[in-house]
Amino acid sequence: MLKVCFFAKNISNEEGLNRLKIYHIAKTTPAKVLIFHSIPAGFPSPAADYIEDRIDLNELLIKTPSATFFVKVEGDSMIDAFIPPKGLLVVDRFINAATGDIVVAVLNGEFTVKRLLKTQAGIFLSPANPKYKPIKVTEEMDFQVWGVVTKIISDPKDM
Amino acid sequence: MFALVDCNNFYVSCERVFNPKLEGKPVIVLSNNDGCAIARSEEAKALGIDMGMPTFMIEEIIREHNVAVFSSNYTLYGDMSDRVMKILAGFTPNIEFYSIDEAFLDFTELKYDDLHQLGVKIRRAVTQQTGIPVTVGIAPTKTLAKMANRYAKNKKKDLRVHCLKDQQDINEVLQFTKVGDIWGIGRQYEKFLLKNGYKSAADLVKANDEWIRKNMSVVGQRMVNELCGIPCIKWEDEPPAKKAICTSRSFGHLVTNKDHLKEAISNYANNVALKLRSQHSCAKQMHVFLQTNPFRTEDKQYFRSVDIELPVATNSSNEIIQYAMKGLDIIYSTGYKFLKAGVIVMEIIPEDQIQKGLFDTVDRERNKIVMNTMDKVNKVFGRDVVRFAVQGYEKKWKLKAAYISRRYTTNIYELLTIKI
Repeated sequence: MLKVCFFAKNISNEEGLNRLKIYHIAKTTPAKVLIFHSIPAGFPSPAADYIEDRIDLNELLIKTPSATFFVKVEGDSMIDAFIPPKGLLVVDRFINAATGDIVVAVLNGEFTVKRLLKTQAGIFLSPANPKYKPIKVTEEMDFQVWGVVTKIISDPKDM
Repeated sequence: MFALVDCNNFYVSCERVFNPKLEGKPVIVLSNNDGCAIARSEEAKALGIDMGMPTFMIEEIIREHNVAVFSSNYTLYGDMSDRVMKILAGFTPNIEFYSIDEAFLDFTELKYDDLHQLGVKIRRAVTQQTGIPVTVGIAPTKTLAKMANRYAKNKKKDLRVHCLKDQQDINEVLQFTKVGDIWGIGRQYEKFLLKNGYKSAADLVKANDEWIRKNMSVVGQRMVNELCGIPCIKWEDEPPAKKAICTSRSFGHLVTNKDHLKEAISNYANNVALKLRSQHSCAKQMHVFLQTNPFRTEDKQYFRSVDIELPVATNSSNEIIQYAMKGLDIIYSTGYKFLKAGVIVMEIIPEDQIQKGLFDTVDRERNKIVMNTMDKVNKVFGRDVVRFAVQGYEKKWKLKAAYISRRYTTNIYELLTIKI
Protein backbone atom coordinates (compact mmCIF):
# COMPACT_ATOMS: atom_id res chain seq x y z
CA MET A 1 0.00 0.00 0.00
CA LEU A 2 1.55 3.24 -1.08
CA LYS A 3 0.24 6.50 0.19
CA VAL A 4 1.17 9.68 -1.54
CA CYS A 5 0.18 13.10 -0.39
CA PHE A 6 0.53 15.85 -2.94
CA PHE A 7 0.93 19.40 -1.75
CA ALA A 8 2.24 22.63 -3.10
CA LYS A 9 5.22 24.08 -1.27
CA ASN A 10 4.93 27.68 -2.30
CA ILE A 11 1.47 28.44 -1.05
CA SER A 12 1.70 29.27 2.63
CA ASN A 13 -0.83 32.00 3.32
CA GLU A 14 -4.25 31.28 4.66
CA GLU A 15 -6.04 32.06 1.43
CA GLY A 16 -3.73 29.83 -0.50
CA LEU A 17 -4.40 26.92 1.79
CA ASN A 18 -8.09 27.42 1.41
CA ARG A 19 -7.79 27.23 -2.33
CA LEU A 20 -5.56 24.23 -2.20
CA LYS A 21 -7.22 20.87 -2.37
CA ILE A 22 -5.32 18.03 -0.85
CA TYR A 23 -6.16 14.53 -1.97
CA HIS A 24 -4.81 11.41 -0.42
CA ILE A 25 -3.99 8.99 -3.16
CA ALA A 26 -4.03 5.30 -2.42
CA LYS A 27 -2.36 2.83 -4.69
CA THR A 28 -4.53 -0.06 -3.63
CA THR A 29 -7.39 -0.33 -1.22
CA PRO A 30 -6.04 1.29 1.93
CA ALA A 31 -6.33 -0.24 5.36
CA LYS A 32 -7.94 2.79 6.95
CA VAL A 33 -11.05 1.03 8.16
CA LEU A 34 -9.03 -1.53 10.05
CA ILE A 35 -7.52 1.14 12.22
CA PHE A 36 -10.86 2.19 13.60
CA HIS A 37 -12.01 -1.34 14.11
CA SER A 38 -8.95 -2.60 15.83
CA ILE A 39 -8.75 -0.13 18.70
CA PRO A 40 -9.90 -2.15 21.67
CA ALA A 41 -10.20 0.70 24.16
CA GLY A 42 -10.32 4.50 24.10
CA PHE A 43 -12.77 6.71 22.33
CA PRO A 44 -14.41 5.48 19.17
CA SER A 45 -13.72 7.77 16.26
CA PRO A 46 -16.67 9.93 15.32
CA ALA A 47 -15.54 9.46 11.72
CA ALA A 48 -15.84 5.68 11.81
CA ASP A 49 -19.25 5.65 10.16
CA TYR A 50 -18.25 8.10 7.46
CA ILE A 51 -15.16 6.46 6.08
CA GLU A 52 -15.02 6.24 2.32
CA ASP A 53 -12.44 4.61 0.10
CA ARG A 54 -9.58 6.87 -0.82
CA ILE A 55 -9.29 7.94 -4.39
CA ASP A 56 -7.72 5.28 -6.52
CA LEU A 57 -5.79 6.67 -9.48
CA ASN A 58 -5.91 3.34 -11.25
CA GLU A 59 -9.66 3.51 -11.27
CA LEU A 60 -9.55 7.08 -12.51
CA LEU A 61 -7.01 6.57 -15.29
CA ILE A 62 -7.74 3.06 -16.51
CA LYS A 63 -11.12 2.05 -17.88
CA THR A 64 -10.22 -1.29 -19.51
CA PRO A 65 -7.17 -2.76 -17.77
CA SER A 66 -6.62 -5.61 -20.23
CA ALA A 67 -6.50 -3.17 -23.14
CA THR A 68 -4.54 -0.36 -21.47
CA PHE A 69 -0.85 0.27 -22.06
CA PHE A 70 1.50 2.98 -20.84
CA VAL A 71 3.68 4.68 -23.40
CA LYS A 72 6.42 7.26 -23.02
CA VAL A 73 6.83 10.01 -25.58
CA GLU A 74 9.74 12.26 -26.43
CA GLY A 75 9.45 15.31 -28.66
CA ASP A 76 7.51 18.53 -28.97
CA SER A 77 5.18 17.84 -31.89
CA MET A 78 2.10 17.55 -29.63
CA ILE A 79 2.93 20.33 -27.22
CA ASP A 80 -0.25 22.32 -27.92
CA ALA A 81 -2.30 19.25 -27.07
CA PHE A 82 -0.77 19.28 -23.58
CA ILE A 83 1.68 16.48 -24.30
CA PRO A 84 4.99 17.80 -22.91
CA PRO A 85 8.36 16.94 -24.49
CA LYS A 86 8.65 14.13 -21.97
CA GLY A 87 5.27 12.68 -21.21
CA LEU A 88 3.62 9.50 -20.12
CA LEU A 89 0.48 8.48 -21.98
CA VAL A 90 -2.31 6.13 -21.02
CA VAL A 91 -3.32 4.31 -24.20
CA ASP A 92 -6.54 2.35 -24.48
CA ARG A 93 -6.86 -0.13 -27.34
CA PHE A 94 -10.47 -0.92 -26.50
CA ILE A 95 -11.73 2.36 -27.91
CA ASN A 96 -12.41 2.77 -31.60
CA ALA A 97 -10.58 5.87 -32.73
CA ALA A 98 -12.81 8.74 -33.83
CA THR A 99 -11.80 11.86 -35.68
CA GLY A 100 -10.20 14.35 -33.30
CA ASP A 101 -8.77 11.66 -31.00
CA ILE A 102 -5.10 11.67 -30.17
CA VAL A 103 -3.87 8.27 -31.21
CA VAL A 104 -0.82 6.06 -31.15
CA ALA A 105 -0.53 5.10 -34.79
CA VAL A 106 1.76 2.84 -36.75
CA LEU A 107 2.85 4.37 -40.03
CA ASN A 108 5.02 2.18 -42.24
CA GLY A 109 6.15 0.20 -39.22
CA GLU A 110 7.03 3.26 -37.10
CA PHE A 111 5.12 4.44 -34.05
CA THR A 112 3.90 8.00 -33.81
CA VAL A 113 1.47 9.99 -31.68
CA LYS A 114 -0.74 12.47 -33.50
CA ARG A 115 -4.28 13.76 -33.69
CA LEU A 116 -6.37 11.64 -36.03
CA LEU A 117 -8.46 13.63 -38.48
CA LYS A 118 -10.89 11.88 -40.78
CA THR A 119 -11.99 14.43 -43.36
CA GLN A 120 -13.50 14.37 -46.81
CA ALA A 121 -10.02 15.03 -48.13
CA GLY A 122 -8.80 11.85 -46.46
CA ILE A 123 -7.20 10.71 -43.24
CA PHE A 124 -4.61 12.99 -41.62
CA LEU A 125 -2.25 12.63 -38.71
CA SER A 126 -2.05 16.11 -37.36
CA PRO A 127 0.63 17.42 -34.99
CA ALA A 128 -0.24 19.98 -32.31
CA ASN A 129 2.63 22.35 -32.96
CA PRO A 130 2.75 24.86 -35.83
CA LYS A 131 6.38 23.85 -36.40
CA TYR A 132 5.24 20.57 -37.95
CA LYS A 133 3.00 19.75 -40.89
CA PRO A 134 0.12 17.26 -40.88
CA ILE A 135 0.78 13.93 -42.57
CA LYS A 136 -1.73 12.75 -45.14
CA VAL A 137 -2.25 9.01 -44.96
CA THR A 138 -2.15 7.71 -48.52
CA GLU A 139 -3.14 4.32 -49.79
CA GLU A 140 0.43 3.20 -50.34
CA MET A 141 1.16 3.76 -46.66
CA ASP A 142 0.92 0.96 -44.17
CA PHE A 143 -1.28 2.61 -41.59
CA GLN A 144 -2.90 1.34 -38.44
CA VAL A 145 -4.27 2.91 -35.26
CA TRP A 146 -2.55 1.12 -32.35
CA GLY A 147 -4.54 2.74 -29.56
CA VAL A 148 -6.28 5.87 -28.38
CA VAL A 149 -4.60 8.20 -25.89
CA THR A 150 -7.05 8.61 -23.00
CA LYS A 151 -4.90 10.38 -20.39
CA ILE A 152 -1.73 12.40 -20.35
CA ILE A 153 0.46 12.20 -17.25
CA SER A 154 3.15 14.80 -16.91
CA ASP A 155 5.66 16.09 -14.44
CA PRO A 156 5.42 19.90 -14.18
CA LYS A 157 9.20 20.04 -14.29
CA ASP A 158 9.16 18.62 -17.81
CA MET A 159 6.74 21.22 -19.14
CA MET B 1 -20.56 -26.30 -27.37
CA PHE B 2 -16.90 -25.64 -26.62
CA ALA B 3 -14.41 -23.24 -28.10
CA LEU B 4 -10.67 -23.56 -28.18
CA VAL B 5 -9.01 -20.18 -28.55
CA ASP B 6 -5.30 -20.09 -29.10
CA CYS B 7 -2.86 -17.31 -29.87
CA ASN B 8 -0.97 -17.52 -33.14
CA ASN B 9 2.79 -17.91 -32.66
CA PHE B 10 2.19 -16.31 -29.28
CA TYR B 11 5.70 -15.24 -28.24
CA VAL B 12 6.40 -13.80 -31.68
CA SER B 13 3.06 -11.99 -31.65
CA CYS B 14 3.88 -10.44 -28.26
CA GLU B 15 7.15 -9.07 -29.64
CA ARG B 16 5.36 -7.71 -32.71
CA VAL B 17 2.81 -5.74 -30.68
CA PHE B 18 5.62 -3.47 -29.47
CA ASN B 19 7.69 -3.69 -32.62
CA PRO B 20 5.33 -3.37 -35.59
CA LYS B 21 8.25 -3.19 -38.00
CA LEU B 22 8.49 -6.96 -37.61
CA GLU B 23 5.11 -7.50 -39.23
CA GLY B 24 5.57 -9.66 -42.31
CA LYS B 25 9.21 -10.40 -41.46
CA PRO B 26 10.74 -13.65 -40.18
CA VAL B 27 10.94 -13.58 -36.37
CA ILE B 28 11.96 -16.25 -33.88
CA VAL B 29 12.05 -16.46 -30.09
CA LEU B 30 14.70 -18.57 -28.40
CA SER B 31 14.34 -20.83 -25.38
CA ASN B 32 15.84 -20.11 -21.97
CA ASN B 33 19.58 -19.66 -22.32
CA ASP B 34 19.10 -18.90 -26.03
CA GLY B 35 19.44 -22.60 -26.79
CA CYS B 36 16.92 -23.24 -29.54
CA ALA B 37 13.97 -21.75 -31.42
CA ILE B 38 10.70 -22.14 -29.52
CA ALA B 39 8.45 -19.73 -31.42
CA ARG B 40 8.53 -18.87 -35.09
CA SER B 41 6.60 -16.47 -37.25
CA GLU B 42 5.01 -17.91 -40.40
CA GLU B 43 7.81 -16.33 -42.43
CA ALA B 44 10.43 -18.05 -40.24
CA LYS B 45 8.64 -21.38 -40.60
CA ALA B 46 8.72 -20.93 -44.37
CA LEU B 47 12.51 -20.54 -44.20
CA GLY B 48 12.69 -24.05 -42.78
CA ILE B 49 13.29 -23.14 -39.12
CA ASP B 50 11.70 -25.97 -37.18
CA MET B 51 10.41 -26.02 -33.63
CA GLY B 52 13.25 -26.73 -31.21
CA MET B 53 16.06 -26.31 -33.73
CA PRO B 54 19.29 -25.49 -31.88
CA THR B 55 20.41 -21.91 -32.39
CA PHE B 56 23.86 -22.84 -33.71
CA MET B 57 22.22 -24.84 -36.50
CA ILE B 58 20.18 -21.94 -37.81
CA GLU B 59 22.79 -19.20 -37.52
CA GLU B 60 23.29 -19.16 -41.24
CA ILE B 61 19.59 -18.86 -42.08
CA ILE B 62 19.32 -16.05 -39.52
CA ARG B 63 22.16 -14.11 -41.09
CA GLU B 64 21.18 -14.74 -44.68
CA HIS B 65 17.50 -13.87 -44.31
CA ASN B 66 17.86 -11.21 -41.64
CA VAL B 67 15.67 -13.08 -39.18
CA ALA B 68 14.78 -11.04 -36.08
CA VAL B 69 15.85 -13.01 -33.01
CA PHE B 70 14.57 -12.58 -29.44
CA SER B 71 15.46 -14.22 -26.15
CA SER B 72 12.34 -15.33 -24.34
CA ASN B 73 10.84 -12.53 -22.28
CA TYR B 74 8.47 -14.44 -20.01
CA THR B 75 7.62 -11.36 -17.99
CA LEU B 76 6.11 -9.79 -21.09
CA TYR B 77 4.49 -13.00 -22.38
CA GLY B 78 2.98 -13.70 -18.96
CA ASP B 79 1.37 -10.27 -18.79
CA MET B 80 0.07 -10.42 -22.36
CA SER B 81 -1.33 -13.89 -21.68
CA ASP B 82 -3.12 -12.58 -18.61
CA ARG B 83 -4.72 -9.84 -20.71
CA VAL B 84 -5.86 -12.30 -23.38
CA MET B 85 -7.31 -14.68 -20.78
CA LYS B 86 -9.19 -11.87 -19.00
CA ILE B 87 -10.81 -10.85 -22.27
CA LEU B 88 -11.77 -14.46 -23.03
CA ALA B 89 -13.21 -14.83 -19.53
CA GLY B 90 -15.60 -12.02 -20.44
CA PHE B 91 -17.40 -14.33 -22.90
CA THR B 92 -18.26 -17.16 -20.51
CA PRO B 93 -18.00 -17.91 -16.81
CA ASN B 94 -16.72 -21.41 -17.63
CA ILE B 95 -13.20 -21.14 -18.90
CA GLU B 96 -10.26 -23.49 -18.65
CA PHE B 97 -6.82 -21.92 -18.99
CA TYR B 98 -5.09 -24.70 -20.83
CA SER B 99 -1.67 -23.16 -21.38
CA ILE B 100 0.00 -19.76 -21.60
CA ASP B 101 -1.55 -19.20 -25.03
CA GLU B 102 -4.73 -21.29 -25.20
CA ALA B 103 -7.99 -21.65 -23.35
CA PHE B 104 -11.16 -23.73 -23.61
CA LEU B 105 -14.44 -21.85 -23.33
CA ASP B 106 -17.62 -23.70 -22.41
CA PHE B 107 -20.81 -22.23 -23.88
CA THR B 108 -23.12 -25.07 -22.84
CA GLU B 109 -24.98 -22.99 -20.28
CA LEU B 110 -25.17 -19.89 -22.40
CA LYS B 111 -27.68 -19.03 -25.07
CA TYR B 112 -25.65 -17.83 -27.99
CA ASP B 113 -27.59 -18.00 -31.26
CA ASP B 114 -24.80 -17.73 -33.73
CA LEU B 115 -21.65 -19.37 -32.46
CA HIS B 116 -19.71 -18.67 -35.61
CA GLN B 117 -20.43 -14.98 -35.20
CA LEU B 118 -19.40 -15.28 -31.55
CA GLY B 119 -16.07 -16.76 -32.66
CA VAL B 120 -15.52 -13.81 -34.96
CA LYS B 121 -16.35 -11.47 -32.09
CA ILE B 122 -13.93 -13.19 -29.71
CA ARG B 123 -11.18 -12.98 -32.26
CA ARG B 124 -11.84 -9.32 -32.94
CA ALA B 125 -11.97 -8.43 -29.22
CA VAL B 126 -8.65 -10.08 -28.40
CA THR B 127 -6.86 -8.70 -31.44
CA GLN B 128 -8.15 -5.19 -30.97
CA GLN B 129 -7.45 -4.98 -27.25
CA THR B 130 -4.09 -6.73 -27.09
CA GLY B 131 -2.77 -6.82 -30.64
CA ILE B 132 -2.43 -10.61 -30.41
CA PRO B 133 -4.03 -12.55 -33.29
CA VAL B 134 -5.93 -15.69 -32.25
CA THR B 135 -7.60 -18.67 -33.88
CA VAL B 136 -10.98 -19.97 -32.69
CA GLY B 137 -12.37 -23.49 -33.11
CA ILE B 138 -15.90 -24.23 -31.92
CA ALA B 139 -17.41 -27.72 -31.65
CA PRO B 140 -19.55 -30.02 -29.47
CA THR B 141 -16.51 -31.49 -27.66
CA LYS B 142 -13.06 -30.33 -26.60
CA THR B 143 -11.28 -32.76 -28.93
CA LEU B 144 -13.38 -31.57 -31.88
CA ALA B 145 -12.83 -27.93 -30.86
CA LYS B 146 -9.08 -28.55 -31.01
CA MET B 147 -9.59 -30.04 -34.46
CA ALA B 148 -11.78 -27.21 -35.67
CA ASN B 149 -9.10 -24.80 -34.49
CA ARG B 150 -6.43 -26.65 -36.47
CA TYR B 151 -8.72 -26.69 -39.48
CA ALA B 152 -9.21 -22.91 -39.23
CA LYS B 153 -5.43 -22.43 -39.14
CA ASN B 154 -4.93 -24.50 -42.27
CA LYS B 155 -8.01 -23.83 -44.34
CA LYS B 156 -9.35 -20.49 -43.19
CA LYS B 157 -6.19 -18.47 -43.01
CA ASP B 158 -7.96 -15.11 -43.20
CA LEU B 159 -10.98 -15.64 -41.01
CA ARG B 160 -9.29 -17.95 -38.49
CA VAL B 161 -12.60 -19.03 -37.04
CA HIS B 162 -14.25 -22.38 -37.66
CA CYS B 163 -17.45 -23.63 -36.09
CA LEU B 164 -18.72 -27.21 -36.41
CA LYS B 165 -22.45 -26.49 -36.52
CA ASP B 166 -23.72 -29.82 -37.78
CA GLN B 167 -22.69 -33.37 -38.58
CA GLN B 168 -21.66 -32.36 -42.08
CA ASP B 169 -19.13 -29.85 -40.70
CA ILE B 170 -17.86 -32.47 -38.26
CA ASN B 171 -17.42 -35.06 -41.01
CA GLU B 172 -15.45 -32.63 -43.11
CA VAL B 173 -13.01 -31.92 -40.30
CA LEU B 174 -12.71 -35.59 -39.35
CA GLN B 175 -11.86 -36.37 -42.95
CA PHE B 176 -9.26 -33.59 -42.97
CA THR B 177 -7.51 -34.61 -39.75
CA LYS B 178 -4.86 -37.32 -39.86
CA VAL B 179 -4.81 -39.68 -36.87
CA GLY B 180 -1.43 -38.32 -35.75
CA ASP B 181 -2.91 -34.84 -35.48
CA ILE B 182 -5.73 -35.80 -33.13
CA TRP B 183 -5.42 -34.29 -29.68
CA GLY B 184 -4.05 -37.00 -27.38
CA ILE B 185 -2.61 -39.32 -30.01
CA GLY B 186 1.12 -39.72 -29.53
CA ARG B 187 3.79 -41.16 -31.82
CA GLN B 188 3.26 -44.75 -30.70
CA TYR B 189 -0.50 -44.76 -31.19
CA GLU B 190 -0.10 -42.99 -34.51
CA LYS B 191 2.19 -45.75 -35.79
CA PHE B 192 -0.10 -48.41 -34.42
CA LEU B 193 -3.22 -46.91 -36.00
CA LEU B 194 -1.58 -46.37 -39.36
CA LYS B 195 -0.42 -49.98 -39.32
CA ASN B 196 -4.00 -51.06 -38.77
CA GLY B 197 -5.28 -48.98 -41.66
CA TYR B 198 -6.64 -45.96 -39.80
CA LYS B 199 -5.50 -42.88 -41.64
CA SER B 200 -7.86 -40.07 -40.72
CA ALA B 201 -10.01 -39.24 -37.73
CA ALA B 202 -12.99 -40.22 -39.89
CA ASP B 203 -11.59 -43.78 -40.15
CA LEU B 204 -11.21 -43.93 -36.40
CA VAL B 205 -14.84 -42.97 -35.78
CA LYS B 206 -15.93 -45.99 -37.83
CA ALA B 207 -13.72 -48.33 -35.80
CA ASN B 208 -15.23 -51.10 -33.74
CA ASP B 209 -15.77 -50.07 -30.08
CA GLU B 210 -14.50 -53.38 -28.80
CA TRP B 211 -11.31 -53.08 -30.84
CA ILE B 212 -10.63 -49.57 -29.59
CA ARG B 213 -11.14 -50.50 -25.96
CA LYS B 214 -8.94 -53.56 -26.30
CA ASN B 215 -6.08 -51.79 -28.05
CA MET B 216 -6.27 -48.24 -26.79
CA SER B 217 -7.83 -48.68 -23.34
CA VAL B 218 -10.61 -46.55 -21.92
CA VAL B 219 -8.69 -43.41 -22.86
CA GLY B 220 -8.98 -44.33 -26.53
CA GLN B 221 -12.67 -45.06 -26.09
CA ARG B 222 -13.17 -41.65 -24.53
CA MET B 223 -11.34 -40.03 -27.41
CA VAL B 224 -13.49 -41.75 -30.03
CA ASN B 225 -16.61 -40.68 -28.13
CA GLU B 226 -15.33 -37.12 -28.23
CA LEU B 227 -14.87 -37.42 -31.99
CA CYS B 228 -18.48 -38.57 -32.22
CA GLY B 229 -19.60 -35.41 -30.44
CA ILE B 230 -20.09 -36.83 -26.94
CA PRO B 231 -18.17 -34.71 -24.39
CA CYS B 232 -16.04 -37.04 -22.24
CA ILE B 233 -13.04 -35.03 -21.18
CA LYS B 234 -13.31 -33.57 -17.74
CA TRP B 235 -13.62 -29.85 -17.39
CA GLU B 236 -10.94 -28.33 -15.19
CA ASP B 237 -12.11 -25.01 -13.83
CA GLU B 238 -9.29 -24.52 -11.44
CA PRO B 239 -5.82 -25.79 -11.98
CA PRO B 240 -5.12 -28.32 -9.22
CA ALA B 241 -2.97 -26.91 -6.42
CA LYS B 242 0.67 -27.43 -7.23
CA LYS B 243 2.27 -30.44 -5.54
CA ALA B 244 5.75 -29.06 -5.99
CA ILE B 245 7.32 -25.78 -7.00
CA CYS B 246 10.61 -25.81 -8.80
CA THR B 247 13.12 -23.26 -9.96
CA SER B 248 15.96 -24.79 -11.88
CA ARG B 249 18.03 -23.38 -14.69
CA SER B 250 21.03 -24.07 -16.78
CA PHE B 251 23.76 -21.52 -16.25
CA GLY B 252 24.91 -19.22 -19.03
CA HIS B 253 28.40 -20.65 -18.68
CA LEU B 254 29.72 -23.72 -16.93
CA VAL B 255 30.33 -22.85 -13.27
CA THR B 256 33.10 -24.23 -11.06
CA ASN B 257 33.31 -21.60 -8.33
CA LYS B 258 31.30 -22.45 -5.22
CA ASP B 259 30.50 -18.81 -4.48
CA HIS B 260 28.85 -18.49 -7.86
CA LEU B 261 26.82 -21.62 -7.17
CA LYS B 262 25.82 -20.16 -3.81
CA GLU B 263 24.65 -17.02 -5.53
CA ALA B 264 22.65 -18.94 -8.13
CA ILE B 265 21.04 -21.39 -5.71
CA SER B 266 20.14 -18.68 -3.21
CA ASN B 267 18.41 -16.82 -6.02
CA TYR B 268 16.50 -19.95 -7.03
CA ALA B 269 15.58 -20.56 -3.38
CA ASN B 270 14.36 -17.00 -3.02
CA ASN B 271 12.33 -17.41 -6.20
CA VAL B 272 10.68 -20.56 -4.86
CA ALA B 273 9.89 -18.84 -1.54
CA LEU B 274 8.35 -15.94 -3.43
CA LYS B 275 6.13 -18.31 -5.42
CA LEU B 276 5.05 -19.99 -2.18
CA ARG B 277 4.16 -16.65 -0.59
CA SER B 278 2.25 -15.49 -3.63
CA GLN B 279 -0.06 -18.51 -3.38
CA HIS B 280 -0.21 -18.31 0.44
CA SER B 281 1.30 -21.69 1.10
CA CYS B 282 4.28 -23.18 2.88
CA ALA B 283 6.51 -26.14 2.12
CA LYS B 284 7.67 -28.86 4.43
CA GLN B 285 10.27 -30.49 2.25
CA MET B 286 13.00 -29.32 -0.05
CA HIS B 287 15.20 -30.82 -2.71
CA VAL B 288 18.42 -29.24 -4.00
CA PHE B 289 20.32 -30.59 -6.97
CA LEU B 290 23.44 -29.89 -8.94
CA GLN B 291 24.67 -31.38 -12.21
CA THR B 292 27.33 -31.22 -14.90
CA ASN B 293 26.66 -31.20 -18.65
CA PRO B 294 25.97 -34.80 -19.73
CA PHE B 295 26.64 -33.92 -23.38
CA ARG B 296 30.22 -32.87 -22.67
CA THR B 297 31.58 -36.38 -22.62
CA GLU B 298 35.12 -35.05 -22.24
CA ASP B 299 34.20 -33.66 -18.79
CA LYS B 300 33.97 -35.61 -15.56
CA GLN B 301 30.30 -36.16 -14.81
CA TYR B 302 28.54 -35.45 -11.54
CA PHE B 303 24.94 -35.42 -10.42
CA ARG B 304 23.91 -35.15 -6.83
CA SER B 305 20.84 -34.06 -4.97
CA VAL B 306 19.72 -33.89 -1.40
CA ASP B 307 16.35 -33.95 0.32
CA ILE B 308 15.91 -31.69 3.29
CA GLU B 309 13.09 -32.01 5.76
CA LEU B 310 12.16 -28.59 7.13
CA PRO B 311 11.37 -28.65 10.87
CA VAL B 312 8.34 -26.41 10.36
CA ALA B 313 6.70 -25.71 7.01
CA THR B 314 7.78 -22.29 5.82
CA ASN B 315 7.72 -19.77 3.00
CA SER B 316 10.30 -17.34 4.40
CA SER B 317 13.09 -16.60 1.98
CA ASN B 318 15.70 -16.48 4.74
CA GLU B 319 14.84 -19.95 6.02
CA ILE B 320 14.55 -21.51 2.58
CA ILE B 321 17.81 -19.92 1.41
CA GLN B 322 19.52 -21.03 4.61
CA TYR B 323 18.51 -24.66 4.10
CA ALA B 324 19.36 -24.53 0.40
CA MET B 325 22.86 -23.37 1.34
CA LYS B 326 23.18 -26.28 3.78
CA GLY B 327 22.06 -28.57 0.98
CA LEU B 328 24.68 -27.13 -1.36
CA ASP B 329 27.37 -27.74 1.26
CA ILE B 330 26.38 -31.38 1.32
CA ILE B 331 26.24 -31.98 -2.43
CA TYR B 332 29.05 -29.71 -3.65
CA SER B 333 32.30 -31.21 -4.76
CA THR B 334 35.31 -29.48 -6.29
CA GLY B 335 36.76 -30.18 -9.70
CA TYR B 336 33.57 -30.29 -11.76
CA LYS B 337 32.13 -27.93 -14.33
CA PHE B 338 28.51 -27.48 -13.36
CA LEU B 339 25.80 -26.74 -15.89
CA LYS B 340 22.62 -26.71 -13.89
CA ALA B 341 21.23 -26.44 -10.39
CA GLY B 342 17.79 -26.28 -8.93
CA VAL B 343 15.64 -25.95 -5.85
CA ILE B 344 12.35 -27.81 -5.52
CA VAL B 345 9.93 -27.56 -2.60
CA MET B 346 7.35 -30.23 -1.86
CA GLU B 347 4.66 -31.14 0.66
CA ILE B 348 2.99 -27.82 0.10
CA ILE B 349 0.27 -26.83 2.54
CA PRO B 350 -1.83 -23.70 3.05
CA GLU B 351 -0.12 -20.99 5.05
CA ASP B 352 -2.75 -21.12 7.81
CA GLN B 353 -2.50 -24.87 8.40
CA ILE B 354 1.05 -25.11 9.59
CA GLN B 355 1.89 -27.56 12.32
CA LYS B 356 4.05 -25.57 14.72
CA GLY B 357 7.10 -27.18 16.28
CA LEU B 358 7.48 -27.66 20.01
CA PHE B 359 11.17 -26.79 19.99
CA ASP B 360 10.92 -24.21 17.26
CA THR B 361 13.29 -21.34 17.90
CA VAL B 362 12.52 -19.34 14.77
CA ASP B 363 10.65 -16.09 15.37
CA ARG B 364 8.00 -16.77 12.71
CA GLU B 365 5.92 -13.70 13.38
CA ARG B 366 8.92 -11.51 12.86
CA ASN B 367 9.95 -13.40 9.72
CA LYS B 368 6.50 -12.91 8.33
CA ILE B 369 6.66 -9.16 8.85
CA VAL B 370 10.10 -9.00 7.26
CA MET B 371 8.96 -11.01 4.22
CA ASN B 372 5.81 -8.96 3.88
CA THR B 373 7.77 -5.74 3.95
CA MET B 374 10.34 -7.08 1.52
CA ASP B 375 7.64 -8.17 -0.93
CA LYS B 376 5.93 -4.81 -0.72
CA VAL B 377 9.11 -2.86 -1.31
CA ASN B 378 10.07 -5.10 -4.21
CA LYS B 379 6.64 -4.79 -5.69
CA VAL B 380 7.00 -1.04 -5.87
CA PHE B 381 10.68 -0.69 -6.69
CA GLY B 382 11.28 -3.81 -8.70
CA ARG B 383 12.16 -7.43 -8.23
CA ASP B 384 15.08 -8.16 -5.93
CA VAL B 385 15.73 -4.52 -5.04
CA VAL B 386 15.75 -5.71 -1.44
CA ARG B 387 17.58 -9.01 -1.33
CA PHE B 388 19.71 -11.24 0.83
CA ALA B 389 23.44 -10.60 0.69
CA VAL B 390 24.15 -14.14 -0.47
CA GLN B 391 22.06 -13.53 -3.61
CA GLY B 392 24.84 -11.20 -4.75
CA TYR B 393 24.99 -8.86 -7.70
CA GLU B 394 27.50 -10.51 -9.97
CA LYS B 395 25.22 -13.01 -11.66
CA LYS B 396 28.12 -14.77 -13.37
CA TRP B 397 25.86 -17.81 -13.60
CA LYS B 398 22.97 -15.94 -15.16
CA LEU B 399 21.51 -17.58 -18.20
CA LYS B 400 22.09 -16.14 -21.59
CA ALA B 401 19.43 -13.78 -22.81
CA ALA B 402 21.36 -11.75 -25.29
CA TYR B 403 18.38 -10.60 -27.36
CA ILE B 404 15.75 -9.92 -24.73
CA SER B 405 13.20 -7.20 -25.39
CA ARG B 406 11.91 -4.77 -22.80
CA ARG B 407 9.33 -5.50 -20.15
CA TYR B 408 6.98 -3.05 -21.86
CA THR B 409 3.95 -3.66 -19.66
CA THR B 410 5.34 -4.34 -16.20
CA ASN B 411 8.33 -2.07 -15.68
CA ILE B 412 7.95 1.70 -15.70
CA TYR B 413 11.58 2.12 -16.81
CA GLU B 414 11.17 -0.12 -19.84
CA LEU B 415 8.03 1.33 -21.41
CA LEU B 416 7.53 1.66 -25.11
CA THR B 417 9.07 5.02 -26.02
CA ILE B 418 7.86 6.91 -29.06
CA LYS B 419 9.64 9.87 -30.64
CA ILE B 420 7.01 12.34 -31.69
